[in-house]
Amino acid sequence: MKRIFTRISVLAVFCLLAINVAFAQNITVKGRVSDGGDKTTIPSVSVLVKGTQNGTQTDASGMYSISAPANAILVFTYLGYTTQEVPVNNRTTLNVELASSSQQLDQVVVVGYGTQRKVDVTGSVATVKGEEISKQASVNPISALQGKVAGVSITNTGAPGSSPQITIRGTGTIYGNTGVLYVVDGVWYDDVSFLNPSDIENLSILKDASSQSIYGIRAANGVVLITTKKGKTGEPVITYNGSIGFKAVTNQVEMANATEYATIINELSASNGANPLFANPSSFGTGTNWYNQAFRNALQTNHQVSVNGGTEKTTYNFSLGYTNEDGIVKTQNYKRYTAKLSNDFQVLKPLKIGYTVSGTAINTNDINDGIFRQLYTAGPVVPVYYADGSYGDANDFSLGGGNNFNPQVTLDYFNQKTKNYRFNGNVYAELTVAKNFTFRTSAGGDFGQKEIIGYTPLYAATQGQRTTQSTLKIEREETRNWILENTLTYKNTFGDHNLTVLAGTTAQRRKLYNISSTAFDVPYSSDGDLYLSLGTAATRTVVDRGSLSTSASYFGRINYSYKDRYLLNATIRRDGASQFFGGGDLWGNFPAVGAGWVISSEEFMKEQKVVNYLKLKGSWGKVGNAGVPVNPTTLTVSQGGDLVAFFNGVGYTGANINSLVPSFLNWERTTGTDIGIEAKFLDNRLTIETGIYNKKTEQAIFEIPILSSIGTASGSLIGNQADFQNRGFEFLATYADKSKSGFSYSISGNIGINNNKVLSVVTGLNPIYAGGAGIANGALSTRTIQGGAIGEFFGYKVAGIFQTAAEITGSAQPSAKPGDFKYVDQNGDKIIDGKDRVVLGNPNPKFSYGLNTSFGYKNFDLSLDIQGVAGVDVYNANIAYRFGNENFSKDFYDNRWHGAGTSTTYPSAAVGSTINAAPNSFYVEDGSYIRVRNVQLGYALPSLLTSKWKMQRVRVFVDAQNAINIFGYKGFTPEIGGSPTNAGIDASVYPLSATYRFGLQVTF
Amino acid sequence: MKIYKNNYIQKIGLIALCSGLFVLPACKKSFLDVDPQAQQPAVTFWKTQDDATKAVNSIYGILRSNDNTGFSAIAIESVGGDDAEKGSDPNDASYYNNYDDFSVSSTEGQLQGFWNGQYKNINLCNQVLDNIPAISMDANLKARYLAEAKFVRAYSYFRLVRAYGDVPLRLNVPKDASEFNLPRTPKAQVWAAIEKDLNEAAAVLPQTYPSVDLGRATKGAALALHAKVAMYQQKWADVLSYTNTVMTMGYDLFPNYEQSFRLNNENNIESIFEIQCEINASIPGSATSQYSQIQGVRGTVAGYGLNVPTAALNAAYEAGDVRRDATIIYRGETTPQGDAIPVSVPNPMYSQKPYVPFNLINTSFNQGAQQNVRVIRFADVLLMNAEAANEQGNTTLAKTSLNRVRARARGGVAGVLPDVTTSDKDALRQAIWKERFVELAMEYDRYFDVIRQGRAATVFGPKGWKANKNEVWPIPSNEIDKSAGTLTQNPGY
Repeated sequence: MKRIFTRISVLAVFCLLAINVAFAQNITVKGRVSDGGDKTTIPSVSVLVKGTQNGTQTDASGMYSISAPANAILVFTYLGYTTQEVPVNNRTTLNVELASSSQQLDQVVVVGYGTQRKVDVTGSVATVKGEEISKQASVNPISALQGKVAGVSITNTGAPGSSPQITIRGTGTIYGNTGVLYVVDGVWYDDVSFLNPSDIENLSILKDASSQSIYGIRAANGVVLITTKKGKTGEPVITYNGSIGFKAVTNQVEMANATEYATIINELSASNGANPLFANPSSFGTGTNWYNQAFRNALQTNHQVSVNGGTEKTTYNFSLGYTNEDGIVKTQNYKRYTAKLSNDFQVLKPLKIGYTVSGTAINTNDINDGIFRQLYTAGPVVPVYYADGSYGDANDFSLGGGNNFNPQVTLDYFNQKTKNYRFNGNVYAELTVAKNFTFRTSAGGDFGQKEIIGYTPLYAATQGQRTTQSTLKIEREETRNWILENTLTYKNTFGDHNLTVLAGTTAQRRKLYNISSTAFDVPYSSDGDLYLSLGTAATRTVVDRGSLSTSASYFGRINYSYKDRYLLNATIRRDGASQFFGGGDLWGNFPAVGAGWVISSEEFMKEQKVVNYLKLKGSWGKVGNAGVPVNPTTLTVSQGGDLVAFFNGVGYTGANINSLVPSFLNWERTTGTDIGIEAKFLDNRLTIETGIYNKKTEQAIFEIPILSSIGTASGSLIGNQADFQNRGFEFLATYADKSKSGFSYSISGNIGINNNKVLSVVTGLNPIYAGGAGIANGALSTRTIQGGAIGEFFGYKVAGIFQTAAEITGSAQPSAKPGDFKYVDQNGDKIIDGKDRVVLGNPNPKFSYGLNTSFGYKNFDLSLDIQGVAGVDVYNANIAYRFGNENFSKDFYDNRWHGAGTSTTYPSAAVGSTINAAPNSFYVEDGSYIRVRNVQLGYALPSLLTSKWKMQRVRVFVDAQNAINIFGYKGFTPEIGGSPTNAGIDASVYPLSATYRFGLQVTF
Repeated sequence: MKIYKNNYIQKIGLIALCSGLFVLPACKKSFLDVDPQAQQPAVTFWKTQDDATKAVNSIYGILRSNDNTGFSAIAIESVGGDDAEKGSDPNDASYYNNYDDFSVSSTEGQLQGFWNGQYKNINLCNQVLDNIPAISMDANLKARYLAEAKFVRAYSYFRLVRAYGDVPLRLNVPKDASEFNLPRTPKAQVWAAIEKDLNEAAAVLPQTYPSVDLGRATKGAALALHAKVAMYQQKWADVLSYTNTVMTMGYDLFPNYEQSFRLNNENNIESIFEIQCEINASIPGSATSQYSQIQGVRGTVAGYGLNVPTAALNAAYEAGDVRRDATIIYRGETTPQGDAIPVSVPNPMYSQKPYVPFNLINTSFNQGAQQNVRVIRFADVLLMNAEAANEQGNTTLAKTSLNRVRARARGGVAGVLPDVTTSDKDALRQAIWKERFVELAMEYDRYFDVIRQGRAATVFGPKGWKANKNEVWPIPSNEIDKSAGTLTQNPGY
């Protein structure tokens, strides 16, 4: 009875308030909303005048401005924070801190198929705010994660808009899809380069198996959940973000100049017993610097506009984005146009429906894949142009096949444009079917069309670069993927017991179709001529291919907590994947459990003041990886042009079986155990999260080289053939504070240590060799063997350089020449052969770390991020990948052996010979680096000024990405990547570049 | 009313939920059973005569591959000889020098390429031989298809055994992993298997084909190859018998030696087996041959200029021998087809047999990818016949066959290249060997021919060839690694 009265009185108060509001004088209230923990500002917080539909949002820097009655109550709402109500009380400035750590219990993180209070999480989930991503110069949202999260390693490549390689807690998969799973608003993707970083509200990275297992089928390499911005109740908020800047190559490798080149090539000829190629090396002067010829300061511009708002019944978010990024190589360009609309409707009290759709168009001007190799190898004696304006021709200098080209011709006559259109999103309906029961159904789709048009005209630029006919190539690729999901959630509280139960099903279909066609003799006067039908009929060809896979899944999860102190989570997912149909266990089960203990909530902790919060958590889970090629156990017929027979000049289809498939292929499973601690000290100013993990990949799907004498085309066979282990430690510490004078700062450091090890391989102690990409003479530079790391570098250990013929006589390398590497005869049998090879390095980084800081004082803000890796090796394959008269780096030239006593570490110019190019320790270098990843200085214009302009807020900034890079590696960048057994091999990687920008942010 | 409406919605939701949960498992079987896309499942293959035809086509198609005719074949079968050397620029593809001076080690890539190439041929043949017998089809055609596969398999094993000695002998598609790792079979058994295949092939293959099948293995090809196989084993009676048979089958020397190697004279009357190559723009990926490109005149549009004639070869021709100018393209010359070779090209000589006139070079494909590779010519058969006859004591026949080859080399000019008249067995043998040198120069024959003759230490010794080692090349080290020690290395490597 008492309770009813209370309710009535509250209602009465509301009525009175409403009446009051109606008559009160409106004033403009402004302020900043920030995180009570780390003091960072929070954008997109909904600010509503209580009891009305009058609302707004905070802008990118957490500022808001709203017209409200002087006695109104403002309601601040934001996902992941406690809703806060603040009376205006005639104040015009209201700064609000949300979700201070005393409200830790209410912080929410996005997890698979829902959200969870942070306190209830027993696994390892890292969250990154969208703002952290969008403020960076990175065009690809995932690139921006570099250095932000312990245990998440990002390897960027410099190509505009390209997707980085992301590895979560070490390499656990080496075949098929080794990338993480991205779930954007419930739709699954392998790549999110289509996403506009400004559209991202929040990222959750599921690092441990117990959090991942709800995505069982595809979770073994980790899961990144991306929530895009949704509409918020309130007046429309229009935001503009723009920047302009440029990218420039950093750490450019210096090559030998023309005189040096001619000198060393003459030495090479002498070592091959030939006459000098150049009579007078110094006559060439410095010659052409091909890198300088091809590189440029590349322009980057970026414009984003968004509108956000809504009523209690309907909310909307609409955004447009435009990015234009030049490549650092002339002619390369990347343009991305994005549009996104999301609407949510509270149709009826128990029913909510909504949708998010986004369209992306990415148009690129491509460069020849081989251009970086050409720039490295091209002879500096060749001029770009002769005096008469014609192209310099390497053939005129008899440079030979290895570099019979002029890179400028390659740039000028490579004409390929790619257009990539994506349309994706999802629709959902959420229905409260009964008390505490919510049913949600959603359908998502990803439809893409990619078109690549390449046209090579009829031209004759140099002897080696000419065509006898024009060629038009048109390639189209269509993606049609859909996903259907149904979930039923039961949520209830019984006294001290909190219980959430989730059950769901999903079905997915992924289809790809690619068709590629060519025609010769297509004339060109405009792009309107680029049609195959204008080519010679008899030369038109069409090749197509496709892939199709499906999966069906059931999953369930129980989250239980008692007194918010004792936590228990359990998950099960059962997946069926078409990849395993007929040749393995079609269905895989992926269970997980986690438990937590919030020690700081215990009675015995109440008295102490040191620890504000302390949680101990542990979890175990199993996840799978169905990311193997479709139909892996289905033997198929090969029918390529190479098998076509010609009889009397006429081609006849050839078909045969030249492959092997395993008769049985099972799910690759990863079992992970995770133990962690979360703690807060010093009045919540210091946050520490740390943990250890042990991740074991069982029955890893692995392509093992098989004997060539079996005669298959690929020379390898896939199967469940190895077990791997990644063990590691992660540590994150954040200290944030704000002084009375208004100086706020946050310093956050993270480090991940990972140890990668092969536990077993079906080949037993017999290693798997790989890493032949870009290595001379088909030699293999990596080895994967039981007890070692995946893909460790393997080869000869260099003991020195043979100085004289006398030294060679009687050595273990009787066929060596002076200036060749002297290898260590490991087994002492006086012969250097395969048995003398040893482990030379490990391409799997042992340490990766980041330091992220932000400082704010009055209208100024500064952020500085430092990031690096250590304990990693890279293989410089560029040095010895030679066929003839390729150029050398200046470093090699300066240090080379060129006569007895000239060098004991660098070989002679004959470094490309079989004996010298064999994988050896000379090519393996330390790949550690540390860099200033981001530095940004911002200034918000005084509100006095902005309000005059009818703007809520105006901020300008300057920033730099990759401005300072420190590493010992002699190539462009030690950040190399590559498939797991070919990782860390630098074979003409895209050079590293730094980006400098000026930007403007306006909120209306 | 509103409550009613909500209930109604909720009921629909419940129905949707239940159907969602139950419909899915009901359709799981068909939903998860997807077909391979754009790839024919093997279980549907080997059913019809058409399948058999396509499979047999593939064993001819693969013979064009680079491993069979390009870089690897040159390394293994050509540059070791005294007719050919690396060529090109000194610093280009310098690994060929290791094959020329016999310093090659087991890690050199071309060793693996040649090995792979031959076993890829063999696998396709084994697929044919294992699977076609069960196909219900024209019995005669079936027998012929099997015979064609046996010919290509025998050819591939012949190339393997003379390159590596003992090699794994795989005569069936492996049934499972237990049959993957075969040890090396003693070369005597490999030779026996080759001879068995060739006997069975020759018994079935037709002497000629209708023109639509021009290029397939014939009875003559099987017998000629068998003669060569027998010659490498010094089975002179067999060589004589097989070559005598081939000489009755209608083959003859093409009158103009130079012209016999040109595109428009492919599959001529002298041709016993050629690897058929074409540029057909409408069949993507079919112009795979690099035979002509690799050896094309460097510094022109033709190619890389590797595998060039040696001064020793140039000097070996007798005065007036038309074969010299037909085998060697000289720097500065103008070819019979009118291509002027600049004096600025880096090498004094290039191989003319793979030469494709410059106006027929198409930059969209490997240069000269349309040029057939002459594998066995009738001239070779005549010279084998001569050598066998001489070894068997029939010097008359030996001289007849030998002089038939010499006669053409005069190019219609009297008074040059006189007939060989000696009846001294040793002198005649030397004359026949010499004739093989100049007649078959640059045709990937010379290197192993000299080893077979037992005088490699004399002929190649000066460039580093060592007896009891260099008779065979090393087994590729990657292959030994993969075999976990089942494969052993050849002595001395």
